[in-house]
Amino acid sequence: MKIVVCIKQVPATNDAKIDPETKRIIREGMKAILNPFDTYAVEEAVLLKEKFGGEIIALSMGPEKAELSLREAISVGVDRAVLLNDRAFGGSDTWATSYALSSAIKKIGDVDLVICGKQAIDGDTAQVGPGIAAHLDWLQATYVMEVVDTSNSSITVKRMHEDGYDICELQLPAVITVVKDINTPRVPNLKGRLAANKCEIQVWKPEDIGADIDKIGLNGSPTRVVKTQQPAPRHSSTIKITGTPQKCARQMVRELRLRNIL
Amino acid sequence: MINPNNHIQHKIYDVEILPPKQDSEKLDTDLELFATKYNRVMESGYSVCITDNAMGHLAFQGTELIEELGLKVDPAQVMIHLNTFHTKADIHHILDICKAKGIESLLIITGDGSDRLPKLQPADVCATDVEAVTSVELLKYIQQNYPDTFVLGVAFNPYEPEEHEFAKMDRKIAAGASFIITQPLIEQNAVVDKLLEKYPNIPVTVEAWMSKKLYLLSEAVGYEIPQDTEFDPIQTLKDLHKIYPKCGVYLSLLGFKTQYDLIKDTWI
Repeated sequence: MKIVVCIKQVPATNDAKIDPETKRIIREGMKAILNPFDTYAVEEAVLLKEKFGGEIIALSMGPEKAELSLREAISVGVDRAVLLNDRAFGGSDTWATSYALSSAIKKIGDVDLVICGKQAIDGDTAQVGPGIAAHLDWLQATYVMEVVDTSNSSITVKRMHEDGYDICELQLPAVITVVKDINTPRVPNLKGRLAANKCEIQVWKPEDIGADIDKIGLNGSPTRVVKTQQPAPRHSSTIKITGTPQKCARQMVRELRLRNIL
Repeated sequence: MINPNNHIQHKIYDVEILPPKQDSEKLDTDLELFATKYNRVMESGYSVCITDNAMGHLAFQGTELIEELGLKVDPAQVMIHLNTFHTKADIHHILDICKAKGIESLLIITGDGSDRLPKLQPADVCATDVEAVTSVELLKYIQQNYPDTFVLGVAFNPYEPEEHEFAKMDRKIAAGASFIITQPLIEQNAVVDKLLEKYPNIPVTVEAWMSKKLYLLSEAVGYEIPQDTEFDPIQTLKDLHKIYPKCGVYLSLLGFKTQYDLIKDTWI
């Protein structure tokens, strides 16, 4: 099975600043991490490879330093990585991004399965996975919590939704996006990390993937951000509960219910 | 193996060193620095104590660092922290490397988790009577599966509710703990005094906070320490020796550039 796992490097902080002019996140000077949801996508790809064999290619679009996240993916079992890096990709919205990624997937060739995290924690759109499927005209299943079965020609998955879950069988090639419940991502070890540091990351430009320049970057992005505002910070408060253990427990349950936590 | 009584007699410090973080952007430099610190502690005759994802920050394991960097192990000079945020397979992998490398002293702690760290499940350590694995269950599991292999220590937090902490310590001792390391102390602590009275036969090591940034201890001690609080770690270390002459001393956040050469004169 040839699997492409799409990953994104995101700011490591919840305190992201927005550029008032461009309405985009200011990434300079911010520590960056592999999007936490993508770690589950990487792990699922590695689990599938361990079970069925094949090859995993990590694919990302971003600045040069996104290499670090690609190397993190390699350190836990991904075979090779491709970074789409060029000024022309800058400013892409989810539509242009999914177009660029789908063009790269076509270039990689003979891909059976694309796995994405359900969403990135910076944009929270959850649109890129479905966008890739749309551009490729492949079947897709979002919010996958379990890969139930796979064969040479299909994959059966259990997907979460608000009222329960569905079991879907998809003919390959297909795109799935995964949720946290699907697995427990392994933690990279030093040996893997050192080996990953030596791997060459392929860097592709628009012309390498045959991308139409009018469909990427700001020009290819139909999304217009009209206004952004930072949500009011959440103020935490502490309540001290005293009394007998029984009384404290009752009071705690009451407080949790008042906040709709229980 | 590390013998805390021997440490006290021969004025051997336990020096904590933090492994490079997983997300390091200058890993080669960090690895070199780690190896330099490790070797310096070993050459000084002190013991090296390597943390395990301290504060839930993902870092490389002490065992893999020792293996990959080819660091020398003297069983009397190396201690590894081991917490409950690992898979069962990882726990066995770490313990097997420790056994193979001759690392005998382990500090077993519950640890601080994070979203990226798996948590041992009760079934993993054959603990049917608990809902969550703590250092007690991990300790029992290691004792059962690696009999007579390791010397297992545990942590004591004098800033937790006393009754609860002592009850927990009773369970840790019953599970096989053979030495105790406290949370950082900056002065005499009445709860630690009680600990010494209660377990006279268990070696106790007190942790000395070596950073000048005392306010970083706020979370551990449970009250706010102002950022501008003046703190002299070396003087405090000397004081701790006077207050707790029968205890070993564990140095956390020791400055290798400015403080290291000073500590040889602190244990009087």
